[in-house]
Amino acid sequence: MKTFAYFMSCINESMTKELDKALDQWEKDFDLKFIKLHDGTCCGGSNLDYVDPKEFLVINARNIALAEKENLDLVTSCNTCLLSLRRAKQELDSSEENKTFVNSILKKQNLEYTGKSEVKHLLWVLNEDLGLDAIKAKVKTPLKDYKIAPFYGCHILRPSSLMGKDDPSNPKSLDQLVDVLGAKTVDYKSNNECCGFHTLLVAEDASLNIAADALENAIETDADFIVTPCPLCHTVLDSYQQKALKKRNVKDSIPVLHLSQLVGLALGYTQKQLGINRHIVSLSK
Amino acid sequence: MFSTKIMMPMVEVKEETRDITFKIFRYNPQIDAQPFFDDFNIPVEKGITVLRALNYIKENIEPRLSYRAFCQAGICGSCAMKINGVTKLACTTQVWDELENCAEENVLLIEPVSNLHVLKDMVVDMDMVVDKIEKYFGWVSTKMPENQFGKKEFNIPEEEFKLYDAATDCILCASCISECTMTKANKDYITPAVLLKTYRMESDSRDSISDKRMDTLVEKNGVWDCTHCYRCMEYCVKHIPIMDSIHHLREKAIETRGKTDTAGAKHADAFVKDIQSKGRLVESLLPIRTNGLMWTVRNMLPMAFKLTKKGKTPPPPFLMKPIPGIKSLRDLLADLKNRNQTTHNGKGGSK
Repeated sequence: MKTFAYFMSCINESMTKELDKALDQWEKDFDLKFIKLHDGTCCGGSNLDYVDPKEFLVINARNIALAEKENLDLVTSCNTCLLSLRRAKQELDSSEENKTFVNSILKKQNLEYTGKSEVKHLLWVLNEDLGLDAIKAKVKTPLKDYKIAPFYGCHILRPSSLMGKDDPSNPKSLDQLVDVLGAKTVDYKSNNECCGFHTLLVAEDASLNIAADALENAIETDADFIVTPCPLCHTVLDSYQQKALKKRNVKDSIPVLHLSQLVGLALGYTQKQLGINRHIVSLSK
Repeated sequence: MFSTKIMMPMVEVKEETRDITFKIFRYNPQIDAQPFFDDFNIPVEKGITVLRALNYIKENIEPRLSYRAFCQAGICGSCAMKINGVTKLACTTQVWDELENCAEENVLLIEPVSNLHVLKDMVVDMDMVVDKIEKYFGWVSTKMPENQFGKKEFNIPEEEFKLYDAATDCILCASCISECTMTKANKDYITPAVLLKTYRMESDSRDSISDKRMDTLVEKNGVWDCTHCYRCMEYCVKHIPIMDSIHHLREKAIETRGKTDTAGAKHADAFVKDIQSKGRLVESLLPIRTNGLMWTVRNMLPMAFKLTKKGKTPPPPFLMKPIPGIKSLRDLLADLKNRNQTTHNGKGGSK
């Protein structure tokens, strides 16, 4: 059994609970175990790093140290949590001064940051730790009737100096996973674009413009649905979809699935078991 | 459609030559109703840059083809264009390296940078950038009286220069502007290049106009409108960490200048407060804390009904339990607050 510490993203505890629900359904099928870090904190959401850089560093050192205490790598299913955790890890691993500083604080909590745990995205665990062949062997219901638009989101690709997996201009990892699950992917230019999430409350019109571009682009390909490895992208593309497309007078809509739900569908779980019925835009097939 | 088999004259022809098609964006607004693409098929040796290939086409096939290029050495920034969909400098991009990025085998797609008005073919109007540099005071305004000019040196310590060393590498090529998500969505947005320039000036101890620069910067279309997509930094031809500079401007706006009465600053502050109180973000309150109750009711109520129907509404704060270890987390945060040790070195725009 492959075991990982699982970082509980704030949004998966509120608006996108269905993401973890789907993951809970199928982890055993792959002999995977994700141990949830209930004591982990918010990663700072790509905000804390400039409001209070020291706090950003310390709380994310603490988050990673919680995984290190269990001798496990840390996995997240949110792109922005991935960015925060990996950024903090880079700042710690590249500076003894930073490491000494955070450990002087973590010591009082009986925690220590050593740098031994990797920080990974769920997509990377599936593609690399588990492997595409192993996934293919477990598929019960190949998704052959579906044409899917993969939407990677920003922080699993960029900055590539911090992520280093996919070519940010031509990402493949999600397409490869979709492929072994039996579905076809569509080629569309928005697959590596931004969803606009981080400015939804600050520059709403522009954010909805950004989301509408991606949605319209996916709809034009005649894809059955979008799949994304990020719950923040999901929130914009699903919950805000109608609002975004209304501004463009677009009547069509497109369902948006989480990565964990896509895998679950191919393993034979029902839409209800995977929480797909919680989405604002329904998946009809 | 133009096609030629003439070999490139500038280099000796060797066996490592391929026939390559350059699919080039063409548009002269004074003549053409719509932009279109011309195909130029030429043999290209390994080692030839996109700029040299374009020069060859212009000199030998299509003299009307327009693009900017001066230094031919990656210094002046004038030849930025989209090559196979990604903004790069034509003078530092090898044609053969690009072959693996072609959507169609051996066909290089050449387009002008995005988000700027096209004057002709690959030549874009940079006035928008200049106007924004002016709007955001993208220069150092010294405190020194004019009658002292030339009489006294400005000494910049090395440590200070390190703060904006990388930012001074910017060649205003507009690659970041071309790739910027927010500029595409909102043409009035400040743009990453101007944010970087603003950061560079803000970090300069000779400057005396930070107050009015910051006042402009925190307004609509300014520093808070960046959507953190990291495209500017990813595609910067000089590898400048532009996002770090944007973060430092935000940090300065809040911490040094106390400009906290903006939606962006309030939104960011919510993360600090919620980590302190719950360990997690209280998402249900985020819209109200960022924009106030009236905005939230007006903008979010119709969507809130739909979310509630699907069980997707974020829980109210009283239903959100803090993390189990909240007490020790608060001890940790109090400990942190009590320390004056600096771990953050303020290196936005430095490498």
